[in-house]
Amino acid sequence: MRIKKKEIASEIFTGSMADISFLLIIYFMITSAFSADRGLDFALPEDTDTPEIKQEDSIDVHVLRGGAIEVDAKGIPLEGLLPYCLEKLKQNPEKPVILRTDPDATYGDMIRVFDELRQAEEEWMDGDQPLHMDVHGKPLTHIQTISIPTRREIENLWSMLGIQ
Amino acid sequence: MALIRGTQRKDAAQIFTASMADIVFLLIVFFVLTYKVEVDRTKMDLPDTWIRNKIPEKAAVISIAPPDDMTAPLTVRVSTGEEMSLPVSTNEEVVTFASTEVARNPHKEFIIKADEQVPYEHVDAVLDALKQSKVKNIYLLSEQKTVDR
Repeated sequence: MRIKKKEIASEIFTGSMADISFLLIIYFMITSAFSADRGLDFALPEDTDTPEIKQEDSIDVHVLRGGAIEVDAKGIPLEGLLPYCLEKLKQNPEKPVILRTDPDATYGDMIRVFDELRQAEEEWMDGDQPLHMDVHGKPLTHIQTISIPTRREIENLWSMLGIQ
Repeated sequence: MALIRGTQRKDAAQIFTASMADIVFLLIVFFVLTYKVEVDRTKMDLPDTWIRNKIPEKAAVISIAPPDDMTAPLTVRVSTGEEMSLPVSTNEEVVTFASTEVARNPHKEFIIKADEQVPYEHVDAVLDALKQSKVKNIYLLSEQKTVDR
């Protein structure tokens, strides 16, 4: 007598797949962080190419406590900073901008001024076209050097110059 | 006329779930691809800026957060960018940390993650430590500035 084989359909049990999937989603949602991953960059000078900058050969921006700014010892509003720099840099585009901050000012005050200086790249350009020229007829597109000296560096410089 | 009683046909209410698995897997793939381990989870109010450049991955992080109690000292934490951040108590420790990282990789980027209300002198001290350690590139972490803010 011929015995008929009982065929068992092979299948993967997928009933719990939805549970596992949702568990994974919840895990990734909770543990993944949409963290801030952008910021203002700046490069520190190499030892070999750090020229000694005199205060009178630069644009001295001083951020005071409370967020007000003095540029070359004159108080000006933040909106006036870039136009002032533009006029100075038209005469000498290599003039560095020194950003000093009062120790009692907040980090936010300093960043606001630094961000304003960095916006020169956008403010002084119209797309690819530079809006301003220096006295030599070369396009003025950004501030070439923004220096952020630390308090120790400023004190060292002052002591070298004999200023108490 | 007598009403003819008929048997009402009942349609079972159903939610179509065949595409659920696709959607769920799509979501999983999205989260897997965008998943990033945040090496420093210190909560703080970052300053807002218009200019924001992309920070390279695995840059070292130095975070400076104000204390909950104003009389307490600031919380400074450091991370290599690959491990969770650890607290440090002195500037010398920041210099040691940064110097070690620069010795390993001279082009290592550093992120300063500081609360906007932190007095600048503390950020200045960290900047000084990084300069002493011959760090070349620094990123100041910020949020996107908008017209309203």
